[in-house]
Amino acid sequence: MSEEKKKKGSFFGAVKEFVYGVAAHDSARFALKSRASMEHLFILITMGDMLGVPILPPYYSLRLLPYVVPQISTWKRRMLKEKDLTDGLA
Amino acid sequence: MVPISLVKIFDEFPDRRYIMFGGKGGLGKTTFSAATAYYLAKQGKRVLVFSVDPQASLSDIFKKDIFGKGPTEIMPNLYAQEIDADRRVKEYQQEIRKKILDMYGMDKIPEEIESYIQAAAAEPAMEESAIFDEVVDIVVHGGYDYYIYDLVPLGHALYYLSMASVYDEWIDKITNLRQQMREYDQVAAVIRRDKELDEDAILNELLYIKERINKSSGILTDKQKTAFFFVLTPEEMIINDTLKAAELFAKFDVPLSGYIINRVLPRELKNQHIPEYLKNRIVMQDKYLKVIDEVFKGQILASVPEMERDVTGLGMIEKLAEKMFY
Amino acid sequence: MNSVVVLILGLVVAFIGYRFYAKHIDTKIIKSDPKRATPAKMYMDGVEFMPTSKNILFGYQFKSIAGAAPIIGPIIAIQWGWLPALIWILAGTFFIGWVQDYSSAMVAMRNDGASFGGLSHKLISPRARIILLSFIYFYLLLIAGAFGNVVVSTTIALKAAPMAWLFLTVGGILAGQMIYRWRKDIILTTVVTVVIAMAGIWFGTLAPSDKILGLDLANSRWLWAIAAFVFCYFAAVLPIWRFALPINYVASYIVFLGLFFGIIGIFILHPDFTLPAYTDFSIRIGPIWPIMFVTIACGAISGWHSIVSSSGTARQLENELDARPVGGGVMFIEMMLALFALIIAGTIYASSAEYGAAIAKGPGGIFAAGVSKFLGALGMPAALGRSYGSVMMIVLAITIMQLVIRFMRVATSELLSDVSPVFRNPHIGTFIACILGMVLVMTGWWQYLWVLFGGANQLMASLALLLVTAWLMSEGRSAAWAFWPMIFMFITTIAALLYTSFNLLQKVISGAVKGEALIGNTLMGLVGFFLVIAALILGAEGMKALKRYRAITKAQVASAAKA
Ligand SMILES: Nc1ncnc2c1ncn2[C@@H]1O[C@H](COP(=O)(O)OP(=O)(O)OP(=O)(O)O)[C@@H](O)[C@H]1O
Ligand SMILES: [Mg+2]
Repeated sequence: MSEEKKKKGSFFGAVKEFVYGVAAHDSARFALKSRASMEHLFILITMGDMLGVPILPPYYSLRLLPYVVPQISTWKRRMLKEKDLTDGLA
Repeated sequence: MVPISLVKIFDEFPDRRYIMFGGKGGLGKTTFSAATAYYLAKQGKRVLVFSVDPQASLSDIFKKDIFGKGPTEIMPNLYAQEIDADRRVKEYQQEIRKKILDMYGMDKIPEEIESYIQAAAAEPAMEESAIFDEVVDIVVHGGYDYYIYDLVPLGHALYYLSMASVYDEWIDKITNLRQQMREYDQVAAVIRRDKELDEDAILNELLYIKERINKSSGILTDKQKTAFFFVLTPEEMIINDTLKAAELFAKFDVPLSGYIINRVLPRELKNQHIPEYLKNRIVMQDKYLKVIDEVFKGQILASVPEMERDVTGLGMIEKLAEKMFY
Repeated sequence: MNSVVVLILGLVVAFIGYRFYAKHIDTKIIKSDPKRATPAKMYMDGVEFMPTSKNILFGYQFKSIAGAAPIIGPIIAIQWGWLPALIWILAGTFFIGWVQDYSSAMVAMRNDGASFGGLSHKLISPRARIILLSFIYFYLLLIAGAFGNVVVSTTIALKAAPMAWLFLTVGGILAGQMIYRWRKDIILTTVVTVVIAMAGIWFGTLAPSDKILGLDLANSRWLWAIAAFVFCYFAAVLPIWRFALPINYVASYIVFLGLFFGIIGIFILHPDFTLPAYTDFSIRIGPIWPIMFVTIACGAISGWHSIVSSSGTARQLENELDARPVGGGVMFIEMMLALFALIIAGTIYASSAEYGAAIAKGPGGIFAAGVSKFLGALGMPAALGRSYGSVMMIVLAITIMQLVIRFMRVATSELLSDVSPVFRNPHIGTFIACILGMVLVMTGWWQYLWVLFGGANQLMASLALLLVTAWLMSEGRSAAWAFWPMIFMFITTIAALLYTSFNLLQKVISGAVKGEALIGNTLMGLVGFFLVIAALILGAEGMKALKRYRAITKAQVASAAKA
């Protein structure tokens, strides 16, 4: 009985996810993409003295460092990654 | 030439509790800081004199090793402090490391993050911004009637001041950017029907940083609370440089209270039997004192004579203070 | 034959293809490993690389690939008879379609989520990247032209469409404000805006365009072509969340509700095919091979999917095992969509003559009539159903169109900003793309445009398969399952493009066409030739790369044997 209920729940869950995928996933993705390009800029500005641009006093930019630890590696990757035109399509 | 009295200035503006002496290297900023601290302490005020200079010399003048020891009592009501910038930076780095480890449950700082922490600490501006930050701590902490800054030679303070407004603008920009990012986060949350977002810790940090930078530069430029004195000596080069510096400071809204002349050879020597060499110097000083009188008309607050020996130890400080405050 | 038999046949093919063939490839050759970290996990940045559940990706992939093409293709292709179209839809999907969609996701996943440009650079040659990108530009231009034509002919054929389209646009813009500005609850937003769009469909039947604008304007190709490209212009230059995204959001509900109930309608009505199973080897647009193959377009195999798979889906799959349902499974659903369109075209007209009269006005009318019929089985009034079908068609076409124009804008600034900084201005790139598209729409005969688009699209597929083959060989995996489809598609599409371009240009040279058609034929012919040349260069470079890989593998096998 509870097995069945669970199965039913997961089926509706799947349908819900499917509908979300059809209708909304790319909108959410877009919002996150815009956010990410800003994050990119943000890290460039705050951590930029790595590149020799003193935009914040180094003492304070160090304060922000803990919050952007996870982003730093993806940020570097994005900086280094060649932008490809086809990325715009999907 | 009769200068307006320094004593009067202190009496007239009791709100000016942040006292600074600026001027080229070696003219007597530290000496005057100590003498002023001595004078005010004798008046019954609680005074902290602290050094903002990585090559601090308060220990020398008070003949007491106070480096990195926090506020140290020199005599009743007089406290002195030398900030150990190096240590502060090191502790700070450690703090950052710990925060990272705690936040992400790591047991080791990732390599590129570590190299970033070290690179940032090696920046020439690091020590200064660390000291300025500590100054904010000191001032915010309170507990004294007067705070006397033993300043670094002109350049640095000016640099910090000039950057403060730039920093301020940048932080505004960054904060804006951050807020926009947050909006997109919220949109994504709306689309996915996520629950409320956490607060953006970075936004709070930015606000904190903005406040700190504004505070530390604000003190330097606060007309109500700050008295800034220039130290100069009767020499051609020094006069010219002081003029230039004063102009710059005015540009950054530093409230100039006046000028103090140091190392004036006692006139009475003239009538004594002294070597030709010294006579010539006195003649030269006479000439430049006249120039100073013209150029800084009405702004000369004191004229301090050349002492018989270098000013170290409370005894000499007292002696000099008597000449300074009459 | 009965339409339900066709659907069941489709399900059987999908079942066997997905359950056995795809499973075999996935486990035995690709060796998908649920434990291997996917790029989404390895490079997770919460944006492009983002582990996402397979159900969501299933929906995302479906939405991204199910455009107008799988519907229009069969409607046109039935001119050769429904049987060849049916066979090609089933066989094409089974042997080639899913192979491409699945393997392009896989190759990108196993290469750190690299995009096609990057992969062609890495696996084939540096030059390949530039050629591929310019190929894509003209390929997309053909999409803009072909789909623009569909929009225009649909708005003219169905007078309810313009009002429904307008309401949908308004609903979409409102959705954008509600989501991004006011951050209203998404369910509320959805309900309000979808209801507005639905109301537009109903209102369209009350206020047809000829009543409001007069017959002349309502029938003006100029008017609707301008409307379509102005729409795309806004979509390309406005912030994407104000226009393009939310309109698509609202539209997706309209489209998928229509499809869902339409298919139920087929089961209820289960009509017989009324059009002949086979008509002729050669019809006006050309012979069955190669032209019908490219006409079917996305219903059998589509290059577009490979771009979605590699640049979008591959970076979000959280488990290698999900590539088969998402990359492969969705293609079988797309196949069902093509069968749906084939059934519409093949069953709703009493005779070939009736169908012929309808197709002359464009595919939109046929599709709308079909939607109307099958939704009618569920009780929807016929006029309302036609209005519904027309807006579905427009939306399906224009969604892809505006994406394409937006992309062409970016491409213009990227490819030409070195020539002159003017091209960096987004309005310039968009304007160029819109004008080029407009010229194609206004001067080219839509069926030729469609064939060229279909050819370019499947040529793109063949290039994707070339990349996949190169990758498989570079890894020493068996590659025949991608290699032979690639060869087949390459020859077929080159033949189709050459045949059509040659035809078009010959008419120009012999002076058989004048005026608008002269411009249209010349432009289409030249684009066709350009695509052929670019593809031949890519093919040659690709073959060189394949030879290189084969030599390496042989050497490895030899040294392994020695040891
Ligand atoms: N009036 C004076 N008579 C005799 N010696 C003096 C007098 N004023 C200053 N000195 C001596 O001059 C030297 C430099 O003075 P002090 O350290 O105060 O200068 P400063 O401006 O703080 O220098 P820095 O820029 O290096 O901090 C000290 O040895 C001090 O004792
Ligand atoms: Mg000093």
